[in-house]
Amino acid sequence: MMPAPQIRLTRYSVMTLEWPKDSEPLEHWLRGQREIAPSLMQEIAIILRPSVDHKSEDIRHAVDTLGRLGVGLIGLTGDSCHRATATTLGLAWLSSNTSSVESDVGPSQIPADSAREAALVIEGPVRSGVQIYAKDRDLVVIGQVSEGAEIMADGHVHVYGRLRGRVAAGVGGQTGAEIFCVMFEPELVSIGGTYCGDEQIPSNLWSARVRVRLDTNAQTLTFTSMG
Amino acid sequence: MAIVVTVTSGKGGVGKTTSSAAIAAGLAQAGHRTVVIDFDVGLRNLDLVMGVERRVVFDFVSVISGEASLNQALIQDKRLERLSILAASQTKDKDALTEDGVGQVIEQLSDMGFEYIVCDSPAGIERGATMALYFADHAVIVTNPEVSSVRDSDRILGILQSKSKHAEEGGRVNEHLLITRYDPVRVDQGEMLSKEDVCDILAVKLIGVIPESKAVLKASNTGFPVILDAESDAGMAYSDAVARFLGEDRPLRFVTPKKQGLLSRILGGGD
Repeated sequence: MMPAPQIRLTRYSVMTLEWPKDSEPLEHWLRGQREIAPSLMQEIAIILRPSVDHKSEDIRHAVDTLGRLGVGLIGLTGDSCHRATATTLGLAWLSSNTSSVESDVGPSQIPADSAREAALVIEGPVRSGVQIYAKDRDLVVIGQVSEGAEIMADGHVHVYGRLRGRVAAGVGGQTGAEIFCVMFEPELVSIGGTYCGDEQIPSNLWSARVRVRLDTNAQTLTFTSMG
Repeated sequence: MAIVVTVTSGKGGVGKTTSSAAIAAGLAQAGHRTVVIDFDVGLRNLDLVMGVERRVVFDFVSVISGEASLNQALIQDKRLERLSILAASQTKDKDALTEDGVGQVIEQLSDMGFEYIVCDSPAGIERGATMALYFADHAVIVTNPEVSSVRDSDRILGILQSKSKHAEEGGRVNEHLLITRYDPVRVDQGEMLSKEDVCDILAVKLIGVIPESKAVLKASNTGFPVILDAESDAGMAYSDAVARFLGEDRPLRFVTPKKQGLLSRILGGGD
């Protein structure tokens, strides 16, 4: 029997290179860098971000230039109008939620994509010092979350166990995100950037089954019992 | 293949070395060929607790660096024929431990026919500790019944399940909880976390509760693993813990306050 495939969520830091409209000074600078450290640029993974008004040919030119310089280009990001160009050039497309034009989904809603992307399910315990972030989706933790652990999601957060660590829902500014927990004893709670410490949690809801929402008018968190 | 048992805690001074010595001696007493390795390079203590400090010529680091063979560095215990000790170096630092070097030593020990390799981890979450837990099949988490020790144990459990070899290969390290320096009287008075509180926070299977005991300090100072002191409460508690580790089912002892006689209560003696 084939062993279970090892697929894991991994986050990497990758450098993004902004490609300006007038690229000549940048190209000059890059050539200079190559002379100083010839192998450096080949060892660094880079993502290219063209500006919105770049045409497909401009991007092709930029990719060719970087190729000649030996830069390890792995993909394109930026405005979604360049997505097709990435496919044509055989490069990966990395959708970016910081792009100004792409945010046709208002920041106050859960992105429509998250409904389609399955929630990130973590089997606990999530130990002290461990950080979990479910990007663009919901997070479900089965088991306890220890003090000193941090669990975060752009969508909702569900905890089927004792929650003693820090919890944040709607990390990307989605104020409609909520937190659901069966044993609520958190250090810190945050939704859409609004946060509060444990002293602001009603004492009758401590250790209880709790639902947390953000009251967008008052900019405060509301805690209700789930019975 | 030998079974690697790492004794770790995160926090210092909770009883890792005492427990490593006791567990290794207990496994050897139970008939298993066992070696105990001190990973606290630069601050070696295990040799003192085992009473072999004057017999250390070569150590763990000299084996890793190829200055000595494993046979030269292994110290055979004089009380238990199935027990050997591999001391740490006092003059080097923890950077001397490399993953390849430690892996090779563990493999060689396994080839030599040892059944259990007990790794005595240093405190902290830096190199010495991560090297000690990297090859672990089992981890014994030593915790004192107080909040900072429990939180550090929780942290080390997180590291164990993310940075060990088993975790990298998608598996898990078997976790066992050992509570040390437990004082049932103070637990009753609410001054100390109870064993239930600790188990509740850490959610790890409990293999033993070692009472706070004068026998432990005496044993350490005389270089005599406390488990060999079959008369002492700590010695008996360690024996129970090793038996549970090996799969035996034994009830917990020394977890309720001792009943004091009328005379000792009046005279204020006894402990």
